[in-house]
Amino acid sequence: MTQLSKLTALTVSATLAASVAFADDTLTYAGSGGGLAQVMKGVFDDPFAAETGVTVNALATSDRASALKAMQVAGKVAWDVAELNPIEYATASLSGWLEPLDWAAIDPDGVLPQDAKLADAGIAATFSTIMAVRTDQLPEGKQMTSWADFWDVETFPGGRALQNQPIDNLEFALIADGVAPADVYTVLATEEGQDRAFAKLDEIKPYITAWWTAGAQPVQMLSDGEVAYTSAWNGRITKLAEEGVPVEINWNGGGIKASYVAIVKGSEKADLGQKYISYMMTSPERSAQFASMVPYPAMVKGLYDHIPEEKGVMMPTHPNNIDGQFVTDAVFWGKNLSELKERWEDWIFE
Amino acid sequence: MRKRLTLIPGIVLIAVMFLIPVGIVFQQGLFDPVFSLDHFERFATRGAYMRIFWNTLQVSAVVALVCLLIGYPIAYFIVRQPPSRRPFLMFLVLVPMWMSILARTYAWMVVLGKEGIINQSLLAVGLIDAPIKMLFTTGAVYVGMVQIMLPILIVTCFSSMTEIDQSLLRAARIMGASPRKAFREVFLPLSAEGAITGTLIVFILSIGFFIVPALIGGRKDVLMANVISNQVSQTNWGFAAALAIVLLVATLAILTVVRTASAKLVHHNEEAH
Repeated sequence: MTQLSKLTALTVSATLAASVAFADDTLTYAGSGGGLAQVMKGVFDDPFAAETGVTVNALATSDRASALKAMQVAGKVAWDVAELNPIEYATASLSGWLEPLDWAAIDPDGVLPQDAKLADAGIAATFSTIMAVRTDQLPEGKQMTSWADFWDVETFPGGRALQNQPIDNLEFALIADGVAPADVYTVLATEEGQDRAFAKLDEIKPYITAWWTAGAQPVQMLSDGEVAYTSAWNGRITKLAEEGVPVEINWNGGGIKASYVAIVKGSEKADLGQKYISYMMTSPERSAQFASMVPYPAMVKGLYDHIPEEKGVMMPTHPNNIDGQFVTDAVFWGKNLSELKERWEDWIFE
Repeated sequence: MRKRLTLIPGIVLIAVMFLIPVGIVFQQGLFDPVFSLDHFERFATRGAYMRIFWNTLQVSAVVALVCLLIGYPIAYFIVRQPPSRRPFLMFLVLVPMWMSILARTYAWMVVLGKEGIINQSLLAVGLIDAPIKMLFTTGAVYVGMVQIMLPILIVTCFSSMTEIDQSLLRAARIMGASPRKAFREVFLPLSAEGAITGTLIVFILSIGFFIVPALIGGRKDVLMANVISNQVSQTNWGFAAALAIVLLVATLAILTVVRTASAKLVHHNEEAH
């Protein structure tokens, strides 16, 4: 065989192998699209494809719980790996729409804390519903540092906003009423605890200018001066502050939420999916790169060693911020949302 | 016979794209998994849902009537212009429809807000001392929805008005009718059907609205579509389907009543002449 024909044969077989790999090895990832998908493509998907030959086909999806239900009902699974918010995760997990994960294979070196490794999902990123404060509207020499302050309309006059849903607000109300963040769900599990939360919300209700329904609204209202204090998602407030609006995040009493990744029950590529989840979750360097672009940090150990301090302090799981917060209990809400949502609708109308 | 054959593709399309999905919605609302009216009982007995239902009908009716009051005169004005000027005026009416509803709704926040254009101007000229609360009120919902629906009503009215023979108005004037009388006796009856159709279209579209109330309404401005979308995302499909059925049946009932009444009215007018 001449040198040339050898080369040709090699090229041909390589091309063949590549095309076979391409045809077989794509992974469908149901994410949320937009800027987040752009960041994930650069940090995870492209290097993952270069290392393993597996292309990640990232879809922009919303309302994933009902999509998962539709797939299970129809018996036709279109996604391999899905990104889920707490309620979507709780619904999917309680309904059995997710594959169990083998953490010994995903995290052989044990770089993830136990909290991040659930039986049927991993926690890929975190964000927090925090209190955002327009610092220029605070009374002279005063600081708003807790939900009790948010409820204190005498000391802190000014417009306020909260999200139009029971999740977070019932927790905030109990914390404002003196419940320790760690005990919130023990109290909320009882009838009296729920009554107590709604009674506390009665106090603040007349002072709420708007009940927001989309994450962009509190940002808009803060920058327009429509309200001075509001609950909001931390990443959006960081952005707003960078744009020069005098806003600050008060982490105390914030509700940390996870973004879960899971493999859809019935996916034929569960093994590949586990590889991708492992690639995404177990490298502190990659996670740091991700978190430096969007302020939603992962839980991998050593993450903050790779993030500049001034960026790190803007993140919910930074040691400075984490102590006063509680972690939103996805399973509690998965079980109780329907009922509490009805009560919420009644209450909001009164 | 051949005429009927050409209808088949259309019928198949409607069956596949419309009748079957609606059938599935009915099945989901009524069978869970065996026949039961539990979802409807939940709708009727929990205070919140009935209130939201009436609220939806009321908001939609107000929006439809306000659109009629504003849109009909605009359509009349355009139709009375020389034909060469009409396309430009219609273009102006249609331009807002090409903009995203979401963007337009956010724009209302800038206009109606505490530090918005209206409040700033009123404060600047000294008409008010403190900003008026306009954003996050039911009024804001009406303003936002009317602005979105108005072009639809104008277009419907306009197209029915262009079919009216303008020389009839001239004839009425020659016969000695005052301009007001010519309008009332000739133009109004002939354009009534288009106006009623337009109002009904706006009403029906409003019933399914949810972006505007969710973004610029107050806490009580929740419409049925908001509740349905919530229930779908919580995977309570049976209940969401039941709510959709209630809305569909109510809409059809209202449609039938208004159509019958207006047919009588138009018919009566024709007989009187």
